[in-house]
Amino acid sequence: MPTILHRHHWIVRLTHWVNALALVIMTGSGLRIYNAYPAFARKGETFPLNPWEGMAVPSWLTFGGWLGGARHWHFAMMWVLVVNAFIYLGFIYLHGEWRDLVPRRGTARDMWTMVRFYLWLDREHPRQGKHNALQRMAYFSMPWIAAVIVVSGIAIWKPVSLGWLTALFGGYNWARFVHFMAMLALVGAALAHVFMVFAVDPYSLRAIITGGYDESRSPEARNARPFVNLRPPRAPITAAATAAASPPPPTSPAETAE
Amino acid sequence: MTQPYDRRDFLRAAGLGAAALALGACNSQGPREAEKLLRYATKKNEQLERALFSHTHMNEGSPGAFVAGRRFPSYHISKTVPVWDPAVRGAWRLEVGGMVERPLSLSLDDLHRLPRRTQRVDHFCVEGWTAVAGFTGVRVRDLAALAKPDPKAEFVDFESFDDGYHESWDVESAMHPQTLIVYGKDGNELSPAYGAPARLQSPVKLGYKNTKYLTRIMFLPQQNGGYWSDAGYEWYGGT
Repeated sequence: MPTILHRHHWIVRLTHWVNALALVIMTGSGLRIYNAYPAFARKGETFPLNPWEGMAVPSWLTFGGWLGGARHWHFAMMWVLVVNAFIYLGFIYLHGEWRDLVPRRGTARDMWTMVRFYLWLDREHPRQGKHNALQRMAYFSMPWIAAVIVVSGIAIWKPVSLGWLTALFGGYNWARFVHFMAMLALVGAALAHVFMVFAVDPYSLRAIITGGYDESRSPEARNARPFVNLRPPRAPITAAATAAASPPPPTSPAETAE
Repeated sequence: MTQPYDRRDFLRAAGLGAAALALGACNSQGPREAEKLLRYATKKNEQLERALFSHTHMNEGSPGAFVAGRRFPSYHISKTVPVWDPAVRGAWRLEVGGMVERPLSLSLDDLHRLPRRTQRVDHFCVEGWTAVAGFTGVRVRDLAALAKPDPKAEFVDFESFDDGYHESWDVESAMHPQTLIVYGKDGNELSPAYGAPARLQSPVKLGYKNTKYLTRIMFLPQQNGGYWSDAGYEWYGGT
């Protein structure tokens, strides 16, 4: 029997999808802005830490059409991203969801247990609650990476009015570098997240859209690794299932009583 | 009951997702309906930027950075480097006019005689690059002290002989102590490649707001757009 649980509050679902849209637009427009000068060096200098200095991003990955258009989108959508993040963080703080996301004693050990399972070193999917330890650390890290992106972004936006902030990053060029690298980390985490949704737990899509989650199809129940055991488990052969498959008894207890 | 999900479904979903993303983004400018919202955001951002702006926030010119020198990009919209030819146009002069009590007409020598300031600052381009240079010139606020603009003149337009290039500013940014009418760069006379005889330079505005090849400074009651501002970049363009 499917056991449908209510997994995500509507505020979590709404902010998740607003965030997904904002992240796509911020990344696309940011890459278009980056392409106007795909480097971090000051004119007349070289930049030590960027292996892709001078290499533009393919334009199909960008959004905004042109530099000015991308800037308008970037500087508008940044407010959506930030306000949405405050709604989400405020909600999970007040409503208690943060307990499923903040690392606690044993999270490092649990992460290792998950890695062992994914590497086929362990047979059984560990049972670690609503999110496994790898998810917990990923979902915990993402707001922090996003905070680095936002603060370094402000430092790039207002390098004179908020010059003290830009100086904290080591100046404009380093703030730009931090902004870019933190973006890569966040986009990498988001892509890994999307991959794992489709490769391990596609049933969680329902949970992030309608809120409902069928525990009998959870990765734990299916013993799912990436691309392994994607189908729901076959109904286990139990006494009840055998009884249902066999012809019904001629009389029910109620009829006997009559 | 929903259908079980297998590897084929995964590939289908992944393909659809990638196609949707490619079609949706694909270097597009986004939906037309969003333009009003984007303009609203630009307006609100400008209000915030103006609130953050202060004459005490200075740019330090990235201590330790190399001066860009010849690597400093030059910029003009004319097909060739605009050069003021006195034989054709007469002696170059910088006019200060509009809503001012005392309109000025200054020769380059007049500019040289005014209080001189040299600053080593960052130049921020809208494209994302910066370059450090040493600029020598006269503060716009010192010119304003001579011309005595009407307090109702909240905007300043900086005009040039570079094919009609101009950019108008809010007067507060123009009066920033690091906003200069520059006639010298890195210890030398400003060369035509960088906007000679005189150009506007300030770290408080993006590069496109800094009119090169100056001819006239007009104090105005309203903003007058600008070459790149009219083309769709932010009019404020502050840093």
